[in-house]
Amino acid sequence: MTETRIKAESRTEFGKGAARRIRRDNKVPAVLYGHGTDPVHVTIPGHELMLALKNSNALLSIEVSGDKHLALPKQVQRDPIRGYIEHADLILVRRGEKVTVEVPLVVSGEVISGSLVVTEYNTISIEAEATHLPEAIELSVEGLDAGAQIHASDLALPDGVALQLDPETLVVNVVAAPTAEQLEAELAVAEAEAGIEHDAPESETTEPEQTDDTDEADEAAPDSE
Amino acid sequence: MLIPRRVKHRKQHHPKRTGAAKGGTQLSFGDFGIQAIEGHYVTNRQIESARIAMTRHIKRGGKVWINVYPDRPITKKPAETRMGSGKGSPEWWVANVKAGRVMFELSGVTEPIAREALRRAMHKLPMKCKFVTREAGDL
Repeated sequence: MTETRIKAESRTEFGKGAARRIRRDNKVPAVLYGHGTDPVHVTIPGHELMLALKNSNALLSIEVSGDKHLALPKQVQRDPIRGYIEHADLILVRRGEKVTVEVPLVVSGEVISGSLVVTEYNTISIEAEATHLPEAIELSVEGLDAGAQIHASDLALPDGVALQLDPETLVVNVVAAPTAEQLEAELAVAEAEAGIEHDAPESETTEPEQTDDTDEADEAAPDSE
Repeated sequence: MLIPRRVKHRKQHHPKRTGAAKGGTQLSFGDFGIQAIEGHYVTNRQIESARIAMTRHIKRGGKVWINVYPDRPITKKPAETRMGSGKGSPEWWVANVKAGRVMFELSGVTEPIAREALRRAMHKLPMKCKFVTREAGDL
């Protein structure tokens, strides 16, 4: 994984007023900590940080007043609706240091028709060198049939990556999809309970008689849900 | 339909509808979802109707998660009744959904199918919603 270089400014003002002033300038308040050192409060350009954090576990090289810090995102606070970054916690790492991170699991391929892939874990906890973290762990379910199970020990991990999950953990489960009859029966019961009515097909509906009086025609028309 | 089996208080105060969701703002289980972008009460009928709409579209293909539960009773006095004589009787069960909350999740289908299924479900819901997908950088 390549490093993303970001120039940050040291931050001396704290609190919601200062943080809001920083955000108004399209910047993000952040904090760097780790290895028992004192936390370093910084301000990072918002757009650059947003682009860098599009990748999982992005390795950031933060330059603050001449010093370079290598860091990984530990926690990112986002606005729940608009999704912009409000604050970032960055943890300091060293080259060659082993870290434990969550990596997304990407499931590819098509299972046999009539089966359904249920992903129990969307991310996998791994231990790897901070500078050589995989972006994702790929898993192919091509041709698997209902009843197939993939455990953590079955995952193909890159060299230098160790699993931090119990090897017996069920990661992906292939189950039989409900049959069309089962689905229809379940939905019919649910619709009856919820009081949902379907319009009759057009060929079966009888057109109301055309009369001069429009009020009568309106009354004759069937109620539509 | 989703109804609590037993509640501590049969008639409750109206929950506040302001503010944003504190949690449940990102996808937890599925690959696609519906996120509320404004707060509203969602009744159990609306939840069920949305579930049926999306299940009918995806047919046998996918799996649906419902992340909200209608656990708050809303009361109503009968029509043409004089004020007083106590609180009305429970009429609906609602989930108090705040802005930002991911209400439904879906997996096991392609994005175009998921988009259409969730669009149909959104039409059954009382608030403005948006379609959300899982992204690699989500922490």
